[in-house]
Amino acid sequence: MPGWYYDKKELRHSPSAQDGIDYKTEMRYRKEGARLIINTGSKMDLGYNTMATGVVYYHRFYMFHSFKQFPRYVTACCCLFLAGKVEETPKKCKDIIKTAKSLLTDQKFTTFGEDPKEEVMTLERILLQTIKFDLQVEHPYQYLLKYAKCLKGDKQKLQKMVQMAWTFVNDSLCTTLALQWEPEIIAVALMYLAGKLSKFEVVDWMGRNTKHCRWWDMFVEDVTMDLLEDICHQVLDLYSQSDAPIHPDSPPLHSNAKQQMPSLRPSNGQEKTLSPDRPPSVNAKGPPLSDVPQFPYQTFTGAPPPAAAYASVFPSSMAGPPGGPPPHLSGPPPHIAAPPPAVFSYVNHPPPFSTVVPPGAPPYFPANAPPPGQPPQHRPYYPPQ
Amino acid sequence: MSFEKSHTYEALNRIGRGAYGTVYKAKDKKTGNDVALKRVCVPLSEDGIPMNTLREISLLRQLNTHDHPNIVRLLDVCHGQQMERELIMYLVFEHVEQDLSTYIERHSKGFSGVQIRSLSREILNGVDFLHSNRIVHRDLKPQNLLVTHDGHIKLADFGLAKTYDFEMKLTSVVVTLWYRAPEVLLGLTYATPVDIWSIGCIIVELYSLKPLFCGESDGDQLSKIFRVLGKPPESEWPEENISIKWNSFNVNSQISIDRICPNICETAYDLIMSMLTFNPKRRITALEALNHRFFLEEPINT
Ligand SMILES: Nc1ncnc2c1ncn2[C@@H]1O[C@H](COP(=O)(O)OP(=O)(O)O)[C@@H](O)[C@H]1O
Ligand SMILES: [Mg+2]
Repeated sequence: MPGWYYDKKELRHSPSAQDGIDYKTEMRYRKEGARLIINTGSKMDLGYNTMATGVVYYHRFYMFHSFKQFPRYVTACCCLFLAGKVEETPKKCKDIIKTAKSLLTDQKFTTFGEDPKEEVMTLERILLQTIKFDLQVEHPYQYLLKYAKCLKGDKQKLQKMVQMAWTFVNDSLCTTLALQWEPEIIAVALMYLAGKLSKFEVVDWMGRNTKHCRWWDMFVEDVTMDLLEDICHQVLDLYSQSDAPIHPDSPPLHSNAKQQMPSLRPSNGQEKTLSPDRPPSVNAKGPPLSDVPQFPYQTFTGAPPPAAAYASVFPSSMAGPPGGPPPHLSGPPPHIAAPPPAVFSYVNHPPPFSTVVPPGAPPYFPANAPPPGQPPQHRPYYPPQ
Repeated sequence: MSFEKSHTYEALNRIGRGAYGTVYKAKDKKTGNDVALKRVCVPLSEDGIPMNTLREISLLRQLNTHDHPNIVRLLDVCHGQQMERELIMYLVFEHVEQDLSTYIERHSKGFSGVQIRSLSREILNGVDFLHSNRIVHRDLKPQNLLVTHDGHIKLADFGLAKTYDFEMKLTSVVVTLWYRAPEVLLGLTYATPVDIWSIGCIIVELYSLKPLFCGESDGDQLSKIFRVLGKPPESEWPEENISIKWNSFNVNSQISIDRICPNICETAYDLIMSMLTFNPKRRITALEALNHRFFLEEPINT
């Protein structure tokens, strides 16, 4: 069964590239499709996991097919449709199409053909076959919350940092990061970025031991600063692209966020500065992309907004940790005094025995089975003699 | 690329025709390995592939990433020809030598105590893994337990319960009642303990080489159970509204398990009785069973 991670060279040799689409254009198509999934999903009140899952299907699909062969907005709708079913938040195909239509220009919508529903339904099988029925996808969100639980420091600052990292994770869906790195790594990198930007330095954490230089050493292994910064740059690059639609309420925070982070070294050995033809302030930019109308709950903010404004600015389910600020942030819960979860390497498989709850899980479990919603205990095998 | 066109697998012969799908032995042309192809027909709904099917397949894939030694490996999922109202899917599994019912047939002289202990432990191990992932097998029986050439157990045929349910309505298949727990026969809600009941029946079969309770209907199955285990006291009879009444069973003479398998040891008897407990809430769990004395004893050949 295929692995779902690619290096940069492979990303540049995608089917679209082989089909004559240049890299920049492909990245734009990826971003536009991802955004349509998020905007359609938000408008239909789908959860952040469902949208993120749809986006990951979308990126994977185009590692096997060209954008020339499969128009991006049809694929985007199909991915959201499938993700809805997999995440048990199903939406009717025709409703997804209707919502997407309201978000697209008539011209863009022509790719849906005569019978849009049939178009999407036919694609569902191709999509399933392409992603090899590998439907369970993990996202950085859960790791973000898990890691945040272990960090010590000023509660408000921590909360700000988590909120900001959450937005970065949302925005990272518009990049190909999910094709490059495991969700654990992305979560660490974007928390690192948010920490820098919100000036929250993690000096202490629960479960710290002498072998840990950085808090993330508890959760991921062998993650270098170069890697983290490369990931951060891929997200920050979104904000310096001229087609980034700007949230109308976005504060005039500068897209040159990198300049606020002196320690964020340039990736690829290349100095990253904003090109002179791009105004430094996001508000000064040209009109947003015409094909993606904006909504007050647009998550693609165009700039990392100041954390303070977050919770109120984004009422959608994508906007922040579930149920507003994570409850655990208001005080250290007694139950996490225990040592932190086991460390696992980043070139890894899901941790053993992760929970997967089948639909309609049986109404009762024997006393030693984990209660629904909690990962089962890790038990040793009884190896055959 | 659909399965028929892919030419990745070359079907050899039909090895199983279960209630829900046909299983073929095939060769993976790329690796030369034998595989088992299970053809599953999924009815398409108004909104495409049903959510239950998607959830179950995705769960199967997820389980596979753990490489559990007692679970049959799912290697691939393909789809077959496109039909108007249904999707043909092929689940590609590693091929395993035989199933436990064939294995039992091939051992007409019986198994040693050590062999029974090892087979039982592996079955429980696989089931404990399923249960800790919230999967109830629901249909444990020798035909659904595979045995490798070197005698190790691999669980098969689980995880598609809801997909099957859907199809069950369309076909009139007879599903064996012999390994069914009383709560299933009584039509009550059920959960993981049903699998433990089935394992109890299977372990007895490893000793006696024949199925323990061979009922022909729900009621008949229950009377066969009570004839061996005794009828539970009326106070144990479920309070829920059930059509089968406690006093409809007349149990006169009782044949006990150690009469059915005289070669059974005391600890095995104790374990089996705690698996064949009428009340599912008091039935032993897979994890508890794995820690039972039976598995901790010196491997004495009995
Ligand atoms: N991986 C396999 N290797 C060898 N034989 C298998 C394999 N899977 C299934 N079989 C055989 O096919 C039969 C039917 O398969 P199963 O998955 O139980 O389908 P059904 O749902 O129709 O019962 C099994 O009883 C077993 O004999
Ligand atoms: Mg079967």
